[in-house]
Amino acid sequence: MSTTTLRSRRISNGIIYTILSVMSVIWLIPIVWLVIRSFQKEKGAWITTVLPQGYTFDNYIRLFTETDQFNYPLWFVNTLVVAIFTCIFATMLVLMISYTFSRLRFKSRKMFMNIGLILNMFPGFMTMIAVYHILKAIGLYQSHISLVLVYSSGASLSYFIAKGFFDTIPKAMDEAATIDGATRNQIFWRITLPLTKPIVIYTALTSFLAPWMDFIFASVIMKDNYNKYTLAVGLFRMLERENIYEYFTRFCAGAVIVSIPITILFIFFQKYYVEGVTGGSTKG
Amino acid sequence: MKQHNRNLMNPFQLFWYNIAEKMKHIPSGLVSLLIRLGKFFIRVVRGAARAFARGTEIFANGDVFTKLSFIIMGLALIIRKQIVKGLLFFATQVLFILFFVQFGWNYLKDLGTLGVNAETEFIDPVTGIIMYNPADNSMLILLYSVFTLVVMLAFIVIWVQNVKACWKADRAHKEGIPLNPFKQEMHSLLDERYHTTLLIAPTIMAFAFVVIPLLFMILIAFTNYDMNHQPPGNLFTWVGLQNFKDIFGESATKSKTFFYLFRWDVIWAISATFLNYILGLVLALMINKKGIKGKKVWRTMFVITIAVPQFVSLLLMSRLFGDSGPVNLILQNLGFAPVPFLTNGTTARIMVIIINLWVGIPYTMLITSVILMNIPAELYESARIDGAGTLRTFFKITMPYMLFVTTPYLITQFVGNFNNFNVIYLLTQGDPKSVWLYQAGETDLLVTWLYKLTVTYQDYNLASVIGILVFIVSASMSLIVYNYSASAKREEEFQ
Amino acid sequence: MKKIIVMMLIALVGFGMLFAGGQAEAPVETVKLKVWGSQEDQALLKEMVEEFKAANTGKVYEIEFGVVGEPDAKSRYLEDPEAAADVFAFANDQLKDLVGAGALYELSGIYKENAMKDNGEGSIGSATLNGKLYAFPMTADNGYFLYYDKSVIDAESLKTLDGILAAAQKAGKKVFMDVSNGWYIASFFLGGGGTLGIDANGKQVTDFNNANGVAVGEAIKAFAAHPAFLTGDDAVLTGGMGTVIAAGVSGTWNAKAMKEKLGANYAASKLPTFTLAGKQVQMSSFAGYKLVGVNKLTKYPVDALSLAAWLTNEQNQLKRFQVRGLGPSNTNVAKSPDVLAAPELAALAQQSAYAVSQNDVLGNYWAPAEAFGALMEAKDYSKSIKDQLDAMVAQIVQ
Repeated sequence: MSTTTLRSRRISNGIIYTILSVMSVIWLIPIVWLVIRSFQKEKGAWITTVLPQGYTFDNYIRLFTETDQFNYPLWFVNTLVVAIFTCIFATMLVLMISYTFSRLRFKSRKMFMNIGLILNMFPGFMTMIAVYHILKAIGLYQSHISLVLVYSSGASLSYFIAKGFFDTIPKAMDEAATIDGATRNQIFWRITLPLTKPIVIYTALTSFLAPWMDFIFASVIMKDNYNKYTLAVGLFRMLERENIYEYFTRFCAGAVIVSIPITILFIFFQKYYVEGVTGGSTKG
Repeated sequence: MKQHNRNLMNPFQLFWYNIAEKMKHIPSGLVSLLIRLGKFFIRVVRGAARAFARGTEIFANGDVFTKLSFIIMGLALIIRKQIVKGLLFFATQVLFILFFVQFGWNYLKDLGTLGVNAETEFIDPVTGIIMYNPADNSMLILLYSVFTLVVMLAFIVIWVQNVKACWKADRAHKEGIPLNPFKQEMHSLLDERYHTTLLIAPTIMAFAFVVIPLLFMILIAFTNYDMNHQPPGNLFTWVGLQNFKDIFGESATKSKTFFYLFRWDVIWAISATFLNYILGLVLALMINKKGIKGKKVWRTMFVITIAVPQFVSLLLMSRLFGDSGPVNLILQNLGFAPVPFLTNGTTARIMVIIINLWVGIPYTMLITSVILMNIPAELYESARIDGAGTLRTFFKITMPYMLFVTTPYLITQFVGNFNNFNVIYLLTQGDPKSVWLYQAGETDLLVTWLYKLTVTYQDYNLASVIGILVFIVSASMSLIVYNYSASAKREEEFQ
Repeated sequence: MKKIIVMMLIALVGFGMLFAGGQAEAPVETVKLKVWGSQEDQALLKEMVEEFKAANTGKVYEIEFGVVGEPDAKSRYLEDPEAAADVFAFANDQLKDLVGAGALYELSGIYKENAMKDNGEGSIGSATLNGKLYAFPMTADNGYFLYYDKSVIDAESLKTLDGILAAAQKAGKKVFMDVSNGWYIASFFLGGGGTLGIDANGKQVTDFNNANGVAVGEAIKAFAAHPAFLTGDDAVLTGGMGTVIAAGVSGTWNAKAMKEKLGANYAASKLPTFTLAGKQVQMSSFAGYKLVGVNKLTKYPVDALSLAAWLTNEQNQLKRFQVRGLGPSNTNVAKSPDVLAAPELAALAQQSAYAVSQNDVLGNYWAPAEAFGALMEAKDYSKSIKDQLDAMVAQIVQ
């Protein structure tokens, strides 16, 4: 390689490093700002200076000690429980549906698939109140089970990503097993499932995250039942007219605490996340 | 020929050419969709007619137990020693009758009027205070009627299965063939009929949480359920197509608002989707360029932003860019005039697109960078031998491969952006509000407008019409593109 | 006296049921009620309910608490009236929608008499629609007035908006008002003589776009364009008071924050006058009250009414003021020296002379009014004030 191309490469890399640095700063500013505000000493959501005038760790401590008005630890546990069950249930549902559509051939399969795809397109808020009344009619009034059901059914409508993944697994393996006398049930558990680890992790990850992010469904379902709130609903309450001055910094602290485990999950599983989104096509 | 043309195009033309190629399918896709829908209905009607004919045939030829099984489910099975199965059918019937008498009929009988009894009041003789006889609750009548109808439909399906099974048992008895024991039938659910086993739970859930609510909401569009007709104190009733007429012209402000927001929604969805895609791809290319160190670190920097819940990060963003927020504070300290980032219609629209880049680019970067690493090396090798430069390799190999793999992702992104509630609601709530629009602001998308109409103004009927229209747009779009996209075709390649 | 009558009523009902049931031995009746209150009111509410139970030993009360703040009561109620509380607090601007939806139990008999006797006229008016009383007034502090920094604004400047702006500007500070909010912006229109009303068909009518309204529009334009003008949400006011803000329009919910920020310079007053076509005109405001209503679907109307009456009686209004600083609607409590000494409540009382009831305001009013305010704040003069007001009114009256 000649020195001129080396030099031009160095220059172009230098430019790229500069752009990347500038971009990461821009991307991290809001996050850093959130962290800074979570340590802010003075109260209030709006401060007259760009940075706070004093810092304290109190916001974090009070989040866990002053629980009579905003019971952060309880909400955290609620959300965690809902998230774990949603994760298990949604993953099972998605696997069942996508395996069926990808592997099994039966009457009106295409019709079912298209219907699923269409249903997924309806804006969920519209049906929120009807869903609430149905849950109430079947005796799941203000229950965490209803949250799990709603989140899982939401997740399962995006079955087609997982289906695309199943499609990439050669069918020949199934056929060989059928010849050996395995039932479809056995094939599903012993052969197909182990090969679909990425999509399992993807589904589990996205469905685990949903309960942490949703603030509308949870509030419609839980309504006045403060002890069953999830974190997002509870944190939102801190921003109401009467509370924002007193609680904004604690809101920031609470948000930072939620973000830490999610960040760790994401960093660990980003590979699977991508394979999931692209339906396995990234395996090349 | 087509291939040849493509080679002559410059990168930009090529990109738009590819998109136009996809767009071309939309009209024909729409037509074929309609045709298929029509065919589907014909099939349903024909199937029902056939089933009816078959039913009469069975009733005519069956013995007395089979005939009785039309009314008492599972009877013929119990007689023929398929006791468990027979009892299951019978139990279903008992449960259904109980449900219908105890619950369903109470609502279904009022479906035509949605309730007629208005509230009355009287003075309680004992306490001397006013007491009320409650009115019929139109909303619950409608919702539970839909629920009852769906349950009835399910019951009919089970009833047909019952007739079939009894007929089978009848024939087997006449011909002296032993029937499959119950255990074996159960076993078939794990093999030949495995799809039934796997789909039963999802189907029930889909009906409970999606289909029934959906039917309910669609029906609301044909009623006058609004601020002035609110249960429990008031009744609402059917008004036919009035709400659709309002949106399409009769009510000038509503119709103007709808089309104004629709246009913005499309602009928003296109710019949000494609800008995110292109810029995310560029970022991925930079990170993945040979000789750039610390790839993982760079990537992680951007991934962190995904992990902060949107209701936190976007609320912070709206504070950052507020009229007296830190950004304006810094601008003022530097001697500039403050910018009405989110309070002027035009700037607010630009800002939400820009802030959405902050949200969206990391996702695209993450996805495309893994795809980039997976592009088969042979492809690049052969391009290099042909003497193609960096730019040409990009547009000849990288871009087409990328588009091929990510088409489904792009579609879901587009539809997702069209209905992107979170970003708009958390950033601006649709504000700044406009005096020219009906209960809406400049940055409102159709979904956020719909949400406000229901939650704040109780215009359920209008919201329902908008929901149906949004639904039609996004469903037909994704259905068409999905059926033409690579992944639908790939299905057959692999199998 | 009132308590005795309530008790007698309860006893009567108990007897009635006893005869109806034809039971020889009357088991103590169990009454299940649910009460809604805001999160910060929960502790106080529980205390009051315990006292209610102690005062009514004739029945067993199982009382459940739900967290729904006054601003959310209407939307939470309408989502599912059956699951809503039997007794709930709400802001008076929701009265019309709640009554329209058939949500509220009309007060009658002794309950009505007592409520009318004990509470101020304005608060009763805010709970009355078409001559019927629908709720018990709980507080009279949900309106707005002016907080200001005594060290910046003297008594003379305080009288007029222009004076306040000039004083603030001189000190390099701002005057805060959320003009892009239908609730606050109305103070100009109503003060300038504009009216909001309801016609025979139940539609909103307004004259905010007549010649006088245009003059008001110009006054708002001038205010929003003044260099000392500052807008934003409550967070801006609570964050900037004292340091960058010298005066701001807000309500009692910010009193604690304002005291913290201003310390010895804390002061509150009625709204000033503003210049309308060369003359000084007093700014009006919406009168704001918090009310306690009874769910029409309640299974125990008598008990629910008694509880609602209890929660809003003199003793509990006093307690609410002492513990939370909320301004009472009860005339006796309002006259107590402690209440009169609270600057923010005094300011509210002063302003109440110019306040207008919200009962004639329909849901369609808010968004267009906010939109007009937003245009003024953004200094968008692409259309004339007259055109903008015409568009606003067209949206309001449809």
